[in-house]
Amino acid sequence: MKLKEFIKIPKVLGVGLVSDDGFIIEGQATYEYDTERLGAIAARVVNRIKNSLGVEGASAIIYTEDNVLFLKEVEAGIIFVICHKDANVGLIKIRLNKMT
Amino acid sequence: MADELRVDSGALIFATLADVYISSGMIDEAISILKDGLVRNPNYHLAKIILGRAYYLKGEFDKAVETLEAIYEDIKADENANLYLGHSYLKLGDNVKAKKFYETTLKLNSENAEALQSLEKLIPDFAPVPKTQVAEPAAEEEPKATGREETINEVVLPSGQEEVIHEVVLPSDHEEAVHEIVLPPETEEEIHDETSPAESVGSIREVILPTGPAEVVAEKEGREEAAAESFVQELPEKRPESESVPLEALDKPVGRLLALDNVKSVFIATKDGLLIKDYSKAADDVEVICASIAGICLDVDEAFRMLKRGGLTRCIIEKEDETICVMAVGDSLLIVITRLEAKPGLVFVYARKIIEEIEEILG
Repeated sequence: MKLKEFIKIPKVLGVGLVSDDGFIIEGQATYEYDTERLGAIAARVVNRIKNSLGVEGASAIIYTEDNVLFLKEVEAGIIFVICHKDANVGLIKIRLNKMT
Repeated sequence: MADELRVDSGALIFATLADVYISSGMIDEAISILKDGLVRNPNYHLAKIILGRAYYLKGEFDKAVETLEAIYEDIKADENANLYLGHSYLKLGDNVKAKKFYETTLKLNSENAEALQSLEKLIPDFAPVPKTQVAEPAAEEEPKATGREETINEVVLPSGQEEVIHEVVLPSDHEEAVHEIVLPPETEEEIHDETSPAESVGSIREVILPTGPAEVVAEKEGREEAAAESFVQELPEKRPESESVPLEALDKPVGRLLALDNVKSVFIATKDGLLIKDYSKAADDVEVICASIAGICLDVDEAFRMLKRGGLTRCIIEKEDETICVMAVGDSLLIVITRLEAKPGLVFVYARKIIEEIEEILG
């Protein structure tokens, strides 16, 4: 499954692959969401998890009041998927695990 | 990163990245990136605003002012530029300019809390009538004890109640002052504290009845004292202090969560990482885990608030050997560590059930 196919899942708002230092390698998002900003946040959070908890290949699902953000560290960088809070989180998690 | 910027010399991402660096407290790195980026994009005003902010946060207030003032004509409609100019001038001691920029900030966004707070602090410098006023002695109105001065304590009560002035005769070494105390209904008991010095020193001389704010009706001494006494008696008794809640009360709800097969540990910590209660089956470095997780949550929360997408409510962090589920419970965090086989959905369902109980216990 290609990264950009995530955007076809209902209520997925953005997806991207960023390098460890937060630069976008590939990304696509709806007009309200800035992939560069999301990428920077994804890199920051994953690095924080790695450094604080000593986790390699960190993976996180973050729920906020409006959105759910998936983060997964892979060989090529960090994948992030942001979706609306009502999206099918389980489905996105399965797809993300399959892809990696 | 530097290579990326070199490849695309026109890239404006440096401002976004600098913003993230600032949020992480990496001010020097942010300034370095911004300076570098502005060499290539000298007309990128957003970057200059962020640079001004970075200088302010670093404590280089003159540089912050210099950076923002240089482009002020082009950015005068920017809320942050005005706010940080206000902050910088305030730090430089120029309260007049600080006030001007805070006012502009509030014109742009009347709900800007930082500007409101700062302006409130500045008001005593500018407002001609501060809350505490020095009053002229009422020598002509009332005869008073020779060689003594007066202090008037005006207590403005919530609507529907009387306005009472306690006029107190003080020894000559006291200064004359009017203290205006506006009390919300729930702090009525504090009147005892406010009036107690007066009661201990002198007598209550004057009562203003609710016939009008400017109208003062002088009563005879005996009647006034009686009125004041009855008023004090009518006040509700000091509320009992809230009962201290033993943390053992948490055992029952958390026990239900711990009873789940794959749950290894449950911790309750404050949002700043201090452990409240530890329910670990296999305890290791509990405090370190709490602090680390709180740090991650704080980071995420800040990042999302910056995006204006609401704060963190819960998160799942997957490690090689376990899963960490975190839920925000008021000002605390409920941290559940499970084995990999555990179903996070099930943990959240149970957690949600007990969250209300925990909130109630922790207040």
